[in-house]
Amino acid sequence: MKAFRRHRTFADRVSGFGKGISAAFFTRLLALCALTLLINTSAFAGDDLPDWFRQAAKSTPSVYAKDVPAVVLLNERTVKVDEEGKITTYERYVMRVLTMEGRREAHGLATYTTDSGKVKEMRGWLLRPSEEVKKYGKDQILDIALDSNDVFNEARARVIEARDEAEVGAVFGYEYTSEERSVFTQFDWDFQDRMPALVSRFIMNLPAGWRAESVTFNHAKIEANANGSNYTWELRDLAPIEPEPASPRVTSLAPRLAVSYFPAANAKAAIGKSFEKWSEVSRWLFELSDSQAVADNAMIAKVRDLTANAKTELAKIQAIGRFVQGVNYVSIQTGLGRGGGYRPHSAIDVFNKSYGDCKDKANLMRALLKALGIPSYLVSIYSGDPTYVREEWPSPQQFNHCIIAVKVSDETKAATIVTHPQLGRLLIFDPTDDNTPVGDLPDHEQNSLALIVAADAGALLRMPSTPPEANRMERQVEAILGADGSLNAKVLERTAGQAAVNERQAFRRLSKPDYLKMIERWITRGATGASVSKVDPLDNNAEGKFALNVEFTAARYAQVMQGHLLVFKPTIVSRRESLFLTEGLRKHPVMLNAHAYTETVKVKLPDGFVVDEIPDAVKMDTPFGNYATSYEVKDGTLYFTRSLVVRGATIPVSDYEKVKHFYSLIYAAEQAPIVLARK
Amino acid sequence: MFAYRLLIKLAYSIVGVLLLSGLAWAGDDWRPVEPAQLAMKTPVVEKDADAEAIFWEVRVNDSDFDLIFNHYVRIKIFTERGRETQSKIDIPYFGKYHIKDIAGRTIKPDGTIVELKKDAVFERTIVKLSGLKVQAKSFAMPAVEPGAIIEYRWKEVRPQSMADNLQLQFQRDIPVQLVKYYLKPASADLVGDRGMNTMTFHGQNTALVKDKDGFYSMTMTNMPAFREEPLMPPEDQVRTWMLIYYTREAKPVPEKFWGDLGKRYYDIIKDRMKANDEVKKAAATIIGDATTPEEKLKRLFDYCRYKIKNVNDDAAGMTDEQRKKLKENHSPADTLKRGMGNSADIDLLFAALASAAGFEARLALSSYRDSFFFDPGLPLSYFMRPSSIAVHLGDNWKFFNPGTTLIPFGMLRWQEEGVPALVADAKASKFVDTPMAAPDKSLEKREAHLHLSEDGTLEGEVKIVYTGHLGYEKKEYNDDDSPQQREANLREMFQKRMSTAELSNIRIENVTDPDKPFTYAFHLKVPGYAQRTGKRLFLQPGFFQHGIASLFQTSERKYAVYFHYPWMEEDQVLIDLPTGYALDHADRPAPFVIEKVGKHEIYIGISKDGQTLEFKRHFFFGGQDRILFPAASYPTLKQIFDTIHEADNHTLTLKQAAVN
Repeated sequence: MKAFRRHRTFADRVSGFGKGISAAFFTRLLALCALTLLINTSAFAGDDLPDWFRQAAKSTPSVYAKDVPAVVLLNERTVKVDEEGKITTYERYVMRVLTMEGRREAHGLATYTTDSGKVKEMRGWLLRPSEEVKKYGKDQILDIALDSNDVFNEARARVIEARDEAEVGAVFGYEYTSEERSVFTQFDWDFQDRMPALVSRFIMNLPAGWRAESVTFNHAKIEANANGSNYTWELRDLAPIEPEPASPRVTSLAPRLAVSYFPAANAKAAIGKSFEKWSEVSRWLFELSDSQAVADNAMIAKVRDLTANAKTELAKIQAIGRFVQGVNYVSIQTGLGRGGGYRPHSAIDVFNKSYGDCKDKANLMRALLKALGIPSYLVSIYSGDPTYVREEWPSPQQFNHCIIAVKVSDETKAATIVTHPQLGRLLIFDPTDDNTPVGDLPDHEQNSLALIVAADAGALLRMPSTPPEANRMERQVEAILGADGSLNAKVLERTAGQAAVNERQAFRRLSKPDYLKMIERWITRGATGASVSKVDPLDNNAEGKFALNVEFTAARYAQVMQGHLLVFKPTIVSRRESLFLTEGLRKHPVMLNAHAYTETVKVKLPDGFVVDEIPDAVKMDTPFGNYATSYEVKDGTLYFTRSLVVRGATIPVSDYEKVKHFYSLIYAAEQAPIVLARK
Repeated sequence: MFAYRLLIKLAYSIVGVLLLSGLAWAGDDWRPVEPAQLAMKTPVVEKDADAEAIFWEVRVNDSDFDLIFNHYVRIKIFTERGRETQSKIDIPYFGKYHIKDIAGRTIKPDGTIVELKKDAVFERTIVKLSGLKVQAKSFAMPAVEPGAIIEYRWKEVRPQSMADNLQLQFQRDIPVQLVKYYLKPASADLVGDRGMNTMTFHGQNTALVKDKDGFYSMTMTNMPAFREEPLMPPEDQVRTWMLIYYTREAKPVPEKFWGDLGKRYYDIIKDRMKANDEVKKAAATIIGDATTPEEKLKRLFDYCRYKIKNVNDDAAGMTDEQRKKLKENHSPADTLKRGMGNSADIDLLFAALASAAGFEARLALSSYRDSFFFDPGLPLSYFMRPSSIAVHLGDNWKFFNPGTTLIPFGMLRWQEEGVPALVADAKASKFVDTPMAAPDKSLEKREAHLHLSEDGTLEGEVKIVYTGHLGYEKKEYNDDDSPQQREANLREMFQKRMSTAELSNIRIENVTDPDKPFTYAFHLKVPGYAQRTGKRLFLQPGFFQHGIASLFQTSERKYAVYFHYPWMEEDQVLIDLPTGYALDHADRPAPFVIEKVGKHEIYIGISKDGQTLEFKRHFFFGGQDRILFPAASYPTLKQIFDTIHEADNHTLTLKQAAVN
């Protein structure tokens, strides 16, 4: 069980689109930090634990499964807003290490942005099982960049890293105070990550006469304990959230809270932005971005050039979309405390430099379309968890990504068109994902709620989702089997939609030699010692299709048994993806992405052999998917087919056995061999 | 040397001499871009490259108190992938190093030039702690597209540093048409009678050419991109690189060089290996009634390993902070008295005890095979480090390393086996090859007694034992994990190969014991292991090889294949067959012998009652220390391992007897 996501704080909230801590980077950085700390010998000892720490450390957690690495004993954040709009955050956190792996959870994190906030004080303690106390002061606190992939980012964090000192049974905790000014009057709070938590609370202290409202996600409504303008939301004894294959993201499982505060009528103007309706969020984002979507003459000329041969509205949008997809993804995040994370760079700048982040690319496309007379709108979306955004909390902080909605006429047909009550038909497109063309949408964005940024006409809309057949793979295999077990095979794969995206990603990400090696590894997994003579990929990105022709020979594909029997599997090449559900019990639903797959295998059988045994055909029809195999021998040739259709669905735990059974039967069916006997 | 350089620097400051650093780039002039470079449609060095450096030049100026590098690289972009990988640049630096004078520009295919603006270069602090910083200068090249050329340059200053033992690289992640280093050596004022030398590894043997302003240059052309391959030798063994170092003698005689180095180490370390009265007394007590030299050494070795707490060992349960607080041991007597020490203390105590017991014991220095394949004909101390204790036994030197936990007596870590070790001596230092453990010393012994059901489920008891280097690696992988995680590691290992495998009653033994073999024992159930058709069951009796892909899956290979050490596998699998089923046309794969290097043999038999199948497999590889195979032999090696893989995947057919 690995859990790195600690609660979102100001830096996360204002960082806007395309941001977030890269877990891999964070892990690497913490390892670096641990090394760096080795050279620092100034840690001091002494039994000066604060009472709140000592009190939390005495808590007796429930008995958890043996693989639960750590338990959070206290997780408390207090946010104080003064009448000037200054926000002071106090955080206290105490956890106990339960296993060796739990040591890596012994770290503290306080995020901030350099332009509008600071961490005033941070301290940590480690209480060892021996009762010895180690204190972490400023000489042991690291200051790190939150995202190493960005060319620049103002978001940073103070970190206390205690993993190397924390043994099993140790209690680690920290507290910090930070100050900031925010463009928002909204906060969110995750009551837990994957670790169990004994006490988790969010406290808000507001000036007299101000009020707060909250929304609860992934849990029954949590009512605040209110005392005047002071509010406390609390949960206790939260069970661990264990990872499971094809499970919903932890962000859709762990209880979360969103809090908005509303100043008194006579409050000063410097207070951040409040949102009560989605149209207000839309208006705010629109005002930040609209003036950036301007095209200069060079851009107008480029538009003319790009669309010179485009005959239809869709063709024009595709031409512009392809161009913007070709703009390099580069993230430079400044002015975060002033809404910079939501404001794209000027389209002219992005056009000239030919780089930008998601909002820059969407905004550039908007400017280019505008030059063509096609209206379009930025779309705020959450990338990575289609169930993350909830309608009941109007807030820009629910989003981490920006795409585009293009207004289209009735003549344009595509699977990714939604209808807005006022704006009409909108074609949704993600210009940051350069593997998904116009007319398709990345699967992790499909069916999620996203905000059309259109001033007061803006609204939260459900994004389109494509049917399984749109994300299909069709494979044809023609092979000749020799009496000695040798195989000469031609494989032709054609993919579309998100299935093609997977192929395209591999094809583009890898250099040509590495791509060839990947194909060889895939083929030799099914046919040991295969010699691949042809690999011919053909990427038709414009139509969202990908084709791959592979030819190979394998000297001993079928096993010859004492010269009498010839045994081989008709599933000559493996499917690219499989889901294995082996656990007996399931705690969370199973998430299935829509996709479809068909394969036809034609094997010319060797002369002098007859089919002695052939597997039974399989046919399964379930609400979440269908699977079928068939076998036929005609004129010395074996015809084998298999087809799979999986519907995008969330399967409840009560149906886990059905979905597990479905996949286990597929696995068994695809292992079944055919036996030929010499005449 | 550092203090001397500082003094010189002060002297220069006083007289106000202007130092000639940063000579490389006078003004903002870029080199002219030749039309042919702009018109290039395909790479020159590697035909499938996504981008190619047209040139990569670095001026290394060691003549100043600060070591200064001026970098200049020009890259042609051919594909979208090249655009993505080459247009974002991070130049990391740390400590007192600094980066300045960054400039860059993009020349578009039509010849239009887009300059990198100064405000597009960002200085980032990646991590900061108590005044220590790791920083980076980061920028994205503007308007990059396939067909464009990008070029950028910067100056790197390393204050108060010199280019002694400095590695210079000649390969990048993309191919390079021309790599040129300019080197300006330190003056005699700074290095006295030592002169700058260079040595090139795995590359064109190019001489230094005298250039302008006191620089010498070295050029290499058509350098391919460096890409890692599985099972390849260490990077420094395959990459082209150059070492810069200063010596008094330009071409020292190896014998003398090593003799001098050995003596220096001997002199430095002799007091740390000295046996005083307590140590002598302890040696006598430890040896007790042992009679043979091997037995005596084993007892001394075991004492050092088991009775002296190794503070470097994960199993010692010490935190880094606790380690830092420990007092330093200045002699073997200190280590003996405190009963604890670091790995080096324990090795030196062992040497002192052995000396006290009448053995001739010396410090041995060697290179490590995981970083470089060292040749004593190369008089360079760069690769050598203290590694073990050599003890003269009979006519031979034997090597011991009790300070390295988890490695059994009589073995070294694989990195130190099979390498020339310099036995340090006052008068007669000499190289002795450390032995490489034979295949049977690193054994994976697997046993299973399983029952096959009619529906293809396989279930039963499994035991796997690892010794030698295999055991060491298993222990290293698991010793820092909780028991639950160790079980999870095992489950993952099996489920990768058999997705339906269910493991229970898992016992994992000797994880932190250096001598006893690492052992797994567990109950296993694999639904659907055997495939069933109408009247037959298809069974792969090589249960431990099930689901393992062939070792070599690709047809092309650039670098040699390098196995870290020889090893052996012994399997015995008993499978009780379902009632009513019998073998149908059963046979077994032919044995396969690779003369003296390896052997693969499978035995398949059936019990007299026809109910229990016995599968035995014997395999070893790396005999006669053959663990390195040149790239040219890859097709043969691949064929060998493909054949072994096919044999391991041999399937038996069980047929249901006709019902009367």
